[in-house]
Amino acid sequence: MELSAASQGTNPCPICLGPIVQESYLDTCFHKFCYNCIVQWTKVVASKQSLLPSSVKCPLCKRENYSLIRGFDGTSFERLYVNQNFGNGFFLTKAHKCRLQCYHTEPGIANAAFDVSRYWKSRKYLQSNQWLQSWLKREIQALAQDEDIEIIVHHILGVFDCFLRRNEQKHVKTPEIIREEFKALVSDAARPFIAARTNHFVDEMELFLASGLTIEAYDQVYAEYLGWNNSSASNIAAAVERSNENTPVAEGSNESTTIIPDLSIFYEYYIGSD
Amino acid sequence: MQPSRARLFKEYKEVQKEKAADPDIQLVCDESNIFKWNALIKGPSETPYEGGVFQLAFSVPEQYPLQPPQVRFLTKIFHPNVHFKTGEICLDILKNAWSPAWTLQSVCRAIIALMAHPEADSPLNCDSGNLLRSGDIRGYQAMARMYTRLAAMPKKG
Repeated sequence: MELSAASQGTNPCPICLGPIVQESYLDTCFHKFCYNCIVQWTKVVASKQSLLPSSVKCPLCKRENYSLIRGFDGTSFERLYVNQNFGNGFFLTKAHKCRLQCYHTEPGIANAAFDVSRYWKSRKYLQSNQWLQSWLKREIQALAQDEDIEIIVHHILGVFDCFLRRNEQKHVKTPEIIREEFKALVSDAARPFIAARTNHFVDEMELFLASGLTIEAYDQVYAEYLGWNNSSASNIAAAVERSNENTPVAEGSNESTTIIPDLSIFYEYYIGSD
Repeated sequence: MQPSRARLFKEYKEVQKEKAADPDIQLVCDESNIFKWNALIKGPSETPYEGGVFQLAFSVPEQYPLQPPQVRFLTKIFHPNVHFKTGEICLDILKNAWSPAWTLQSVCRAIIALMAHPEADSPLNCDSGNLLRSGDIRGYQAMARMYTRLAAMPKKG
């Protein structure tokens, strides 16, 4: 934040003269503008011509540019072509980008923050998670880079609900089998839409469910693990650690996740006490 | 707030901060209406306008800076690209070649440049344009200097 504020102070958007919002570059000259400002200007240019133009002159240097580059997050960016009228203009927010960043790091980096095996063993999945829908929406929006993904979220939620209903009866399957079932079902549901990132996505969804946290709290803990903000989230992480310490089984289960097939009766005590 | 107002206010702040930056241009905003501006510009040296101070009136549209401001001379000026009666200016950047990266300040600079380099081929003032096109540089300069003295210089005594 400090960095971008400083650079914007010296380099305002040439169109609104304000700090640059949603930094966008023209593809030839790489002059920088607010996304909205340069799109508005391109629309004005286009409105003066009978056909949709294929290029726009840079307001600063007059070079012809064919597309707009925006949302560069260090790994990927979006390219919008002038002759496609810049599509419908969904823009990834900072939170979306943070989530995408998680997908550019090694899977499992935040696994230590949350006790995934406990989630399955103590059958915490039977408690409904009121934040899951919003979390899924943001996650799929980020991965698909599209705003209108309601139907995918619905689909995944439906599959997840189905999975829960099937596993309401106790003591039929081991937690490991239930977990595998969850992974298989959700990845089948998500794969047509997010393709190569499906496996990672399923891990992330499992992690979010296991955390039992609100989206904000989850983001903070995650950021802590990625080393994004070292100070601000520390108390939350500490709180999470404390809550983990309160569960005497956590240590044992961390070391050996495959042993003890069914201790769910024992774990249920903790669900009750929560 | 409308983008045009926000931007004009930024320009206003910039003008206030950098008053000394360009001694040839003095931009003043009508404090009761941020869409109305006035400017005093000095006639460029080594031109018939040297020594004169010319007043410009800006009328800024709501869509600014996506649309150019309307500018005209309030001070009478004899120049091929300025209408002698209305003060209207024929300048590409105020029409087709407008870019939102221009500011009121830089428009003033462009107008000063136009005063130094008249375009006789697109005249709004045909008398002035014809003098230049026929090669009567001295005639053009004499007329322009006379009107500068008459209209753009403080009366002495």
